[in-house]
Order: sequence, then structure tokens, then C-alpha cells
Amino acid sequence: MLPKPDTFPIDMAPLKSDLSMPYTLTPGRAAGAFLAELGQRRIVGSRFKKSGNVVVPAQDFCPLSGDSEFEFVEAPATGTLTTFTETAEGLIGLIRIDGSDVDFPHRLVDTSLDDLRIGMRVEAVWADGIDNSILAIAGFRSSPNAPVGMIRPLTDPAQAVEVIPYRLDLHYEHAFGPYYGRLFDEIKTQRRIMGVRTPDGEGALLPPREICDVTHRPTGTWVEVKQTGTVRAMSIINLEFVGQKQAPPYIYAEIMLDGALTRLIHTVSGFDMSRAKELVKPGTRVRAVWRETQTGSLDDISHFELIDADAK
Amino acid sequence: MRNSRNLNMDRVAVVASAQTELRPRWSGAQHVDLISAVVASVFKGTGLSIDDVDFVIDSGSDVLDGRSISNCGFLGAMGAHHKEESRVEEDGLWAALYGTTKIAAGGAQVGLIIAYSKPSESDVNLFYSSQCEPFYQRPVGFDHRAASGIQAQRYLAQHGRTPADLARITAKRWSDAARHGRVQIASLPGESDVLSSANVAAPLRALMMARPVDGAVAVLLASEEIARRTQRKPVWITGMGASTDRHSFAARKAGALEACEVAARSAYARAGWDKPGASIAEVSASSAVSELMVLESLGLAVPGRGMDLLNGSGNTAINLSGGALPADPIMATGLVRLSEAVRQLTCPDIYGLESPSSAIVHGAGGVGMQAHCVMTLEI
Repeated sequence: MLPKPDTFPIDMAPLKSDLSMPYTLTPGRAAGAFLAELGQRRIVGSRFKKSGNVVVPAQDFCPLSGDSEFEFVEAPATGTLTTFTETAEGLIGLIRIDGSDVDFPHRLVDTSLDDLRIGMRVEAVWADGIDNSILAIAGFRSSPNAPVGMIRPLTDPAQAVEVIPYRLDLHYEHAFGPYYGRLFDEIKTQRRIMGVRTPDGEGALLPPREICDVTHRPTGTWVEVKQTGTVRAMSIINLEFVGQKQAPPYIYAEIMLDGALTRLIHTVSGFDMSRAKELVKPGTRVRAVWRETQTGSLDDISHFELIDADAK
Repeated sequence: MRNSRNLNMDRVAVVASAQTELRPRWSGAQHVDLISAVVASVFKGTGLSIDDVDFVIDSGSDVLDGRSISNCGFLGAMGAHHKEESRVEEDGLWAALYGTTKIAAGGAQVGLIIAYSKPSESDVNLFYSSQCEPFYQRPVGFDHRAASGIQAQRYLAQHGRTPADLARITAKRWSDAARHGRVQIASLPGESDVLSSANVAAPLRALMMARPVDGAVAVLLASEEIARRTQRKPVWITGMGASTDRHSFAARKAGALEACEVAARSAYARAGWDKPGASIAEVSASSAVSELMVLESLGLAVPGRGMDLLNGSGNTAINLSGGALPADPIMATGLVRLSEAVRQLTCPDIYGLESPSSAIVHGAGGVGMQAHCVMTLEI
């Protein structure tokens, strides 16, 4: 077995992090029509011209033949259960709407796992107050005597839904590992910024790491870098964007801390932003300003301030 | 340099592999720590070093990693500084396929293939759900669990198999994984434990699903010329195939893994095999049922008879590593199968194998195993 990467355990709890991504989804012609018609409690399918396949819910391309030329049809709200399972999300089955040539997944409601049978007749249960979502159909329930429905031409189609607002929320707990673990532990408890020496022992790499990126040789011993440094590059951010941590304008700078061979990205502030271009440029000397709070993150450094008092 | 041979593809060998232990949670290590551990190790004994590597190809998932283009943050750990580097957002076996193609085409001589996974940092259900179509599938709760449950219901009904069969294969895989010591196992589940574990996707129980684990694996590929210079016995990649089924699970052929069949046919044809008579098979799976379906799709058993392989029918030693049921490092599972098959071919005594000469390696990806990759190895 390999030497264990977690040979030097640290007791930093994992870093909780959430990604929340906003989207405006475009359903396109077929799904857009299907979602729009749910408001009228109608189920829309596609009938493909070349193959004659009927696909419910409507699709732009036939999943069986790949055809793209189709006309909309109105499908019945009845069908057959072809298979099913139960997960933490509930009872889920594949439904074949009467007249369709393909199945689709949906929920099974007003029933239990033991009552489900392959081939049983089902009908859609409509949900109140939900439009433009497949959940306008709450699910399908057992309907032993439901007559077999017919595919019909779609009359007076509603205007297709063009955009669906959507959000993807993802949750993480990131391990720090031995190197980031010590870095952030020292920041939290000692207010020290620790790097590791290069394999040759010259200068410090920040953030610290086990392997030198350039040579892929093991790095050297730990070393504290100074809390003063030099701006190497900077940008005044005037743009607003999703996920922004502070209101513009503000300065992001690449700062080379004294003793480090690498650049740290942080903010430079503490002066009248109208003088930003004049006061902050490559070569400007800066010093870390710590917050009162000690959380064990780079945010414990509030910002970097200008060292040259006259410049303020 | 190889102008005189440019109509003949170069032979490609696996010259070394290294992997971390596969654990439910590597809580004391970052991705980069796991990656640099395997990259530092993979060269040992080969006479090669990172300087000899012409290109690096890696597999992982941005969604699982929780950052965009996550490979960019891992380049240093991968040894990819100022090298040709490429990312494959599929299982690592596809990365190996890509690398093999590069070397076979004469464009490079030594390639480093890396796959890693830390699903413990993320939510595996959301990872798979994010792969589902957002208008029709995701809102109703259709995901990899539902797909696996549906595969299982159909397989058991069609072939007269029972949950007890699934418990048997699951317990066997876990005990094999424990025996060969590359998977962290706190307590070994018996068949009754499998049958009494929580319901996850009827008729599948929790232990019948592949267990997500953290880990990293690195594989070193080389041209014949370089491979012959290393001290190890080269393991030749003689065939490869990959195929992807319809995205819509409901539109795929019920009770079959057609893409797996196609990938296998392609690999066997390239290897010149008329039947899948390998000494070893290392296959991926999302559940006990999909493992049986994969074995059958690979032609190792007729449909519905995959369980017979557990009784020693056939001459192929299957998943001696334990396979994916006890340890599924999502995005790295297929490359771990390659690493395991190479280890079995080159160190057969560890596994009680007698002079094995060939192996089938299988990787998969997607909800309900939409995509499949198959390789044949020979020594």
C-alpha cells in the first residue's frame, strides 16, 4: 500500500460549502408545448412523420428513430404501468400512456408498493396550483376500469413555455487535508501565515503543499511568511455578478507576501476608492489587517492596507 | 520518428499502476493529497519518472468535486505542470482509452492516466440527479436509484432470480474485497446483513447498491519500445470499445445493457477474440443486478445466468478485487478495474491464479449505466 496521505491528522472540521447556481432553462419546442398545455390539463405528445411513432410526453427528437419532423398530438390521461420501484423520493414507475410508443417516469400516488402490479391500468392525478411543470400531474393512480384512451390531433395549442427559472443547489463538505489543515489552523489560532519551502529550500510556497507543482518533488519544511507584501497585479472590480462577496467597487490584487514565491489573491482597501488607480499598482507595499473574528479561513484577514502612510 | 510504421498502430502497454486504499471517507486528505500520493508511487520500479511523461489525462467530476474545471486546481499534484494535459469527464477507463489511442497513433510514448473521487464531500444522489433531464425526469424524483430499482425488478422477474441471489453475490464481493486488502471495510456484511439492510430502490437493499468510496488511482501507459525497457512484464492493451445508450432510461431496451454489448463486441473484435475467454474479468456495477447484467452483456454468461459464475462455472476469475459493490470511487471505478486486472496478471500468486494470460476490463457511467467502456488485456 501507499504511504498514507493523512499521516498527519488535523482536527479541523470539514469546510462546509454550498453552490447555488441559477439557471434559465429553455425547454424548446416540444417540452415547451407540453409544459404549457399542462395548465389546460392536456397531455401533449409528438407524432413523428417518418416512423409514425408517438412519443408522450412530447419530444423534439424521436428516441426510437431519431426523427425530428413531428406534429403535436393530444394524448389521453390514461395508460399502463410497465415497471416500478420505491426510493426515498417515493413510488416511481414507468408509464406508457395509451397510444404512446415509449414509456416515461412519473410518481405513483394513492397506492403502496404492495398494491402495484406490472401492466396495471393507471390515470393521471392533476395537482392544483402547479403550472408549467410536469408536477402539474401529481402522479398516476390505479384505475382498473379506465378505458383505453386515444391519440387525437392537438387543437388550439397554447403558447409554448419559453423559459423555466431553475436553481441547482449542491452541498459540500471539503476536507482540508494535512497542508491546508495546518495553514488554516495557524491562521485561526496563531494569526500566522504558513508556507512550505520548495524542494531546494529556497523561499516558500503558499498555499503549502506536499508536492512542488513544477518539479513534482516533495516540498521542504514549514516556514512562516511575513504579513507584508508587494502587489504584483490588481484589478478594480466595478462589475456586479452572482456570488459576489462585497459590493463594488473594490480591488482584487495578487500579493506576493515577503518570503513567499507565490502570489496570494486578496482585497486591498482602507482608502478613498476614487484614488484607487493612483494608490494601488504593481509594486505597492501592503500589510494584512486581521478581523476580530477567528474562523480559520482567509476571510480572517479583512483586507490588505497600504503600508506607506503618506499614500493614504 | 515512426514514419516507416505509420500504417501500423504501435502496441500500447500498461507498465505500472498505483492506487490509494479505497475508503468511505478520506476525511484527512484533499483530492490533491490522494492524487499526489498515487502519482509519486506509480513510477517506482519502472525506471521512468515524471520527466518521461509526454501527456497526462485525468478523470473526475466537477459536480462531485464542487468546483468548475476542477482539474485546473489539481495540475501540480498530477505532475502536469507545462505538460499536455486533458480532462475526461467520464470514468477513468475512458481516459485510459484516450491515452492508449494517443500512443497507438504514434503521437506520444509515455502517458500518465489518473482518476480520483471524493464522493464523501458531496451528495451522490444530487450528483446523479444533476445528470437527469430537468423538465421531465428530475422533478418527479427519477434518478440512479430509481433506474437501478427498475433494472432489478425487471431482471428478477424476467429470470426468476430472488433477492437472496443478490445477497449472495454482494456478500461474496465484499469478502473478496476484504481478502485483498485494498478497500477499507469496518465490518464484513453477510448475506443476512445484505437482506436486512435498508430499502433503497425496491427490490434493492442498501448493500445491494455500489458503495461510493474515496480514492485515487494512477496508471502508466507506454509504447512497446518503452514498455520493453521496463523491468516489469508489460501488459498489452489489445482491444478497446466504448458505447453510449439513449439518455432517456425509459427508451432503452428493457432488461438489457445494449451499449455494454456493443462496447464488448468492439473490444473483442479489435483483440481478435472470437469469444470472451479471458482468464480475468474486472467489471464495474451500480448494483448487484447491474453487475450480473454487465457479466452477461460481456458474454461471460447467457442472459439470466450470471449467478452461475459464482458457482465456478466458466474459466474466468471475476472481480477478485471485490469489484464496485464494496468500493465504487465514482469516475475512477473503471480505472481501478484496470489497475486491479493488471495487478492480477502480473502478481497472480497474490490472488491464487495460475498463469493468467488475459483480462476483460469494464467501466461505466451515467444514470442506469448509460455508457460503457471495455478493454482487453494480454500478457
